[in-house]
Amino acid sequence: MKNNDLLTPEGTRDLLFEECAAKREISERLTGLFEKSGYSEVITPGLEFFDVFNGYVRDFPQEMMYKLVDGKNRLMVLRPDSTMPIARLAATRLKDEKLPLKLFYNQNIYMVNPKDSGRDDEISQCGIEILGGDGGAADFEALVLAAKSLAACDEDYRIEIGDMGIFTELLAEYECSVELAVNTRGWIETKNLPKLDEVYAVENIPETDRIYAEAFKALPRLFGGIEVLEKAKKYLHGEFYDMKLARLEKLCRDLSEVIPKEKIRVDLGLLSRKNYYTGIIFRGYVEGYGQPALSGGRYDRLLGDFGRDAGAVGFAVNVEAVARVLLQKDGEVFKKSPDVIVWSDVPVLALKRCAELIASGYCTVNSVLASAEETREYAKAHKIPHIEIINGGKITSEDI
Amino acid sequence: MENRKLRIALTKGRIEEKAVSLLEKIGYDVTNLREKGRRLILAVPNEDIEVVLAKAADVITYVEHGVCDLGIVGKDTIMEHGGKFYEIADLHFGKCRFALAVKKGADFFAGYGVKTVATKYPAVTRNYFEKKGIDVDIVKIEGSVELAPLVGLADGIVDIVETGTTLKENGLEVCEDVAPVSARLIVNTVSIKLKQERIQEIVKLIEENLQ
Repeated sequence: MKNNDLLTPEGTRDLLFEECAAKREISERLTGLFEKSGYSEVITPGLEFFDVFNGYVRDFPQEMMYKLVDGKNRLMVLRPDSTMPIARLAATRLKDEKLPLKLFYNQNIYMVNPKDSGRDDEISQCGIEILGGDGGAADFEALVLAAKSLAACDEDYRIEIGDMGIFTELLAEYECSVELAVNTRGWIETKNLPKLDEVYAVENIPETDRIYAEAFKALPRLFGGIEVLEKAKKYLHGEFYDMKLARLEKLCRDLSEVIPKEKIRVDLGLLSRKNYYTGIIFRGYVEGYGQPALSGGRYDRLLGDFGRDAGAVGFAVNVEAVARVLLQKDGEVFKKSPDVIVWSDVPVLALKRCAELIASGYCTVNSVLASAEETREYAKAHKIPHIEIINGGKITSEDI
Repeated sequence: MENRKLRIALTKGRIEEKAVSLLEKIGYDVTNLREKGRRLILAVPNEDIEVVLAKAADVITYVEHGVCDLGIVGKDTIMEHGGKFYEIADLHFGKCRFALAVKKGADFFAGYGVKTVATKYPAVTRNYFEKKGIDVDIVKIEGSVELAPLVGLADGIVDIVETGTTLKENGLEVCEDVAPVSARLIVNTVSIKLKQERIQEIVKLIEENLQ
């Protein structure tokens, strides 16, 4: 049998030095922001029962979950998502807590990606959930916090807003087969314009259904600045859609009071494969990362699915992805090397001197090498600029 | 890195010339693309654009990861490979189809036995038979798939058919069409948002110059 003891599994990696520093920096900025905004931290288990993620509303694809069994042979998974466990938590241990509840987390999720795709199987996420409260107010707060989170990571960001409810309503009115519904969602989500144009070509659709066909074709094309919402009125008719568009417009306008307008984008074709999203849905992008760095939305059915009827909204930031972008842009910021190394023939003296130097704010290394000469070599190799040698109780300081 | 040129990935081979002609038609200087030598990244003179030449599946990978913004790739590869990107236009060239072919005169669907299908496209084949609700054994072949039914490894093949000549010459015939194929324009899901105007301008030019 081949021994894999020198490898990390595909989709995982060891993080070293400035990679750790960058990741820690990002998660500190985010958790700091969440904590200061009055959110309480939760940590859910890395191992959960398969059932938590399985159902109609909770429909995490089973082929994407890492599975194992517990002592009673029950199916377990490595947590593939943090929102579902937090909904479970809110419906069980927190069921008597008064709503709204504002929670944040900083933990990893795991998923099985296609072989050799270069995607991460272990993803570190920092995110929030607002459970309960007034929908509009909670959506706005989540958006503002999402924008602030992105700004805390990188100035060069965009936040993009859509609404899952528009598509869901169109689908309900259109009354098609489940298969066509699932496919249509996929085509809109992936902006597969040729396929939508083919399936919903005017000649294929009875006159009474044309408005839906036109809307399905229009949704993925309706993205850009706030003006998109105005254009959308041409394709979406009725009180429900007017209300949805007006709400989106209000959210965007309110948001533009807080962040620069050009950072706010709208995409009405933004849909999620996650069945639990019901209302607004949003993504954050940063220059230099080819996938969304932040994603979130409103999920009003998920808590109810665990037995506690309440709406909720939340988002998560892919911490490591953002950290990697920052490292590529300016890695020097995160490189930390010690200021000084101390060697003594009497270890007690060395450690006492180290404590003094550390107290004065220097990053100080205690040399555990046998001689001053070896310590000099070590300092050179590790680019430590100063060395202090305590010999016979006398301190001499040298620059390397 | 922020100031990287807009990057378009083209698929080498069958659809390459048509894709290059399309870029020429919309007004780009494609001399570098025609006289590429061994270079893999080619600048488009006077434009803030560079072109990357890659194998079909790699075009998808580059676009998905966002290191290329746009890509031109066959629907065959998209169907087999999948991935996260926007498929925004049918370019209507490189047209062919996926088809199920069998030995001339044979009935693939006869009898109860589980049939064996040889293919270079296991995912396409699996999806196709799954949709039909038929269990088949799929054998992945790297080279000429036509050989498999002839030597008795498979009952049929799923492969790309352009004219049908290769099938005919080997005593095979199309038993059923699986899906039509043509070249597609794909775009990275973040690029199109961060560089919307620039990309939409190119997409518009491409669409206007299709016929």
